[in-house]
Amino acid sequence: MRLRAVATGLLAGLCVVSAGILIAPGSSYSNQDRGQLFAGATAAHPAGTDALGRDRMVRVAAAFLLSMAGATLAAAATTAAAAGVGLLAAFSPAYVSGFVLLICDAFLALPWLFLLMMVRSLLPLTTSPANSAAVTFFVLAALGWPACARAVYRGALGLKNAEWMLQARAGGLRGRQIAGYVLPNLAPLLMPQFLVSVPAFVIAEANLGALGLGIGEPLPSWGGMLLELENSATLLRTPWVYLPIALLVLVLLLLEAATQEV
Amino acid sequence: MQKLRFSPRWLLLVLTATLTVACAGQAAPRLPGELAWTIGSDPKTFDPAKVDDQWSEQIRYLTGGVLLRFNRLSQSVEPQLAESWKLSADGKTVTFKLRRGLEFSDGSGLTAKDAAWSIRRVLLPATGSPVAEEFLSPAGVTVETPDERTVVVNLPKRVIGIGKVFDEIAIEPAERSSEGRVTAGPFVVSEYRRSQYVRLRRNAHYLGRDSSGVALPYATGVRLDVLANSEQVTRLFERGEYDVINYLPPDYFELLKQKDPGAVRDLGPSLNTEQLWFNQVPGAALPAWEKSWFQSQAFRVAVSRAIHRADLARIAYEGHATPAYSFMSPANGVWYDNELKVPKEDVGAAKAGLAQAGFRLKGSVLEDAAGHAVRFSILTNATNAARQKMATLIQQDLKALGMDVTVVALDFPALIERLMHTQDYEACLLGLENVDPDPNAMMNIWLSSSANHQWNPSQKTPATGWEAEIDRAMGVQASSLKQAERKQAMDRVEQIVADQQPFIYLVYPNALHAVSARLEGVQPAVLEPGLFWNVERLRLRGAR
Repeated sequence: MRLRAVATGLLAGLCVVSAGILIAPGSSYSNQDRGQLFAGATAAHPAGTDALGRDRMVRVAAAFLLSMAGATLAAAATTAAAAGVGLLAAFSPAYVSGFVLLICDAFLALPWLFLLMMVRSLLPLTTSPANSAAVTFFVLAALGWPACARAVYRGALGLKNAEWMLQARAGGLRGRQIAGYVLPNLAPLLMPQFLVSVPAFVIAEANLGALGLGIGEPLPSWGGMLLELENSATLLRTPWVYLPIALLVLVLLLLEAATQEV
Repeated sequence: MQKLRFSPRWLLLVLTATLTVACAGQAAPRLPGELAWTIGSDPKTFDPAKVDDQWSEQIRYLTGGVLLRFNRLSQSVEPQLAESWKLSADGKTVTFKLRRGLEFSDGSGLTAKDAAWSIRRVLLPATGSPVAEEFLSPAGVTVETPDERTVVVNLPKRVIGIGKVFDEIAIEPAERSSEGRVTAGPFVVSEYRRSQYVRLRRNAHYLGRDSSGVALPYATGVRLDVLANSEQVTRLFERGEYDVINYLPPDYFELLKQKDPGAVRDLGPSLNTEQLWFNQVPGAALPAWEKSWFQSQAFRVAVSRAIHRADLARIAYEGHATPAYSFMSPANGVWYDNELKVPKEDVGAAKAGLAQAGFRLKGSVLEDAAGHAVRFSILTNATNAARQKMATLIQQDLKALGMDVTVVALDFPALIERLMHTQDYEACLLGLENVDPDPNAMMNIWLSSSANHQWNPSQKTPATGWEAEIDRAMGVQASSLKQAERKQAMDRVEQIVADQQPFIYLVYPNALHAVSARLEGVQPAVLEPGLFWNVERLRLRGAR
């Protein structure tokens, strides 16, 4: 429990520090200081600059907040969708349940990378970077729910056959009231699903960015910044290029620690 | 708590991983005296008459025997299989006299009959050879063989630079095209493994000899590994797996330069250009007001004036590029116009030009006369880091005018689909590779009727007066017998393009190469194929 509190505290601290960096006067993630390319740490740029002279610390802070916010919202959406679908499958007649689970399996079998590429290519070219970020996380959420829904289904099925539920239903519990009773009992299952989804979506966004399918310039994304690491010519310029990957690993470890003791 | 123990299974895993890394890129062991470098993808064809891609063209260059060879260093046409050649006064008859004792790689004799058959095959519509278009009216071309060593090509109309066209026609044995297996060039295709490598071996019957009488080529063969990843190519070059890297990306050039300054060569501006253009197709699925911006000369000139080209060259190309204002590179000594008047960088003048054209700033947002915010996207290809950097730099430059630009990086097939078929784009940033310094090779870009007239392709009649004038000037340069007249016509085309800015030229990327210290005989050239245009004279140090 203590480890979880420390991890959560550190994550919250990182969020506060990042927000502070972003709203500090004069801070800009897109401004190009063209006289300071791949600069090391200076007073003006404490973590140096990237290939276009943009402040690396501001960009990493923005990417961290964007990824955390996007991944958290997407995880919440995917957990809610999974809860709804899982409950529907567990408490419906067999033919409805079978159909819902079939849809789950079909979603699980989808080649998600190609689907993401297709969705991204269908977007209008003038889609703003912020909207492209929203669409990226929305698509991740839309594709992330089936595995979680299956887990919820198994849990809800156990509750459906529990003695207290049988007694409640025999006592006149209506269908629409079931969720109100079952969901609190599914919380120990839903919470880890939610917490596991957050790092999964952070990594998924980073992977998409590394494939060039992520968030548009000049909005910083973790994946976009990790792209710098694929070029060994860049690695020799400044050790600060490792900052995004170091922070990503740290955040993932903290998220894992926060998840572990639930 | 579990402890990591070095069990035999772990050792095996580590050993396998080490071997995998050590052997990466070694598609096949190198044979004694064999040269090695990479090609970006599998050649689409080995048939020299059907070559339509860069890598197939490279194979044709290395294997094909041609009547005339365009010397990439002196930029002049030299006889190869032909002993001599003559162009008639009216420019419509080309007569070749073949060398004595010519042989194909299988030892069979090469005669005028083989040369005529190869030329006729290229001209046949059924072959679908892109070279045929260079004859302007391929259907009207006739080929005669008065004797075993004479070939006469009759053209229905004069073709500028006809000699260079024969640099692209490989002579094959008549009636038995072999896809590079029987050639009259320095090498023959000996082995091909898809996605791995193409192996060429020395043609023992090649006609060439050096000044000491030693038979050419010097090398016993060439292995061309199929590998597109610059990171891997550079790493394997450093390990001595490859002898050259042709046209190196600027960041890897700098990396190699740090480690071994003697291994890299910056030949200065190439003939290639990088440019930005707006979609001016009348039928494009764009709002009417956007089309009117893109068709406005004032709008295009303002964009051109706001772009800091020196920054593009310094940042996106690490200084290995030259700011560009025209399609003629300074590397093109004969055709470059020193007196060209171009709209230079001047953000103040750009703003004034926009204001005069009815645009106004509302806060920090530029709006047209009808109140539409100026917002558009720039497409570029996802695999080109320099282009993506340029697009992001331009994004900030245009922000100074109040323009809101989105940068979109697409994979190449998706990009081409939008450019060539759906015309569903607003602006595009791409490059153009110019392999030929003669402007006649640019006809397909500048003629308004051409499918490659990118900003508004395949026009039935010229959409604007200045495009009609370009058409006329290109016609003059294509038909005039006087060099001065041709130059004057091209200078006019350059000036119209500089005034109208249908292509906003950004930079001329430098020709960057890497050469192993073990390789002898290298004479790097700006023109393709760069480092190995004289492949028959290349050899590894110590290999005799």
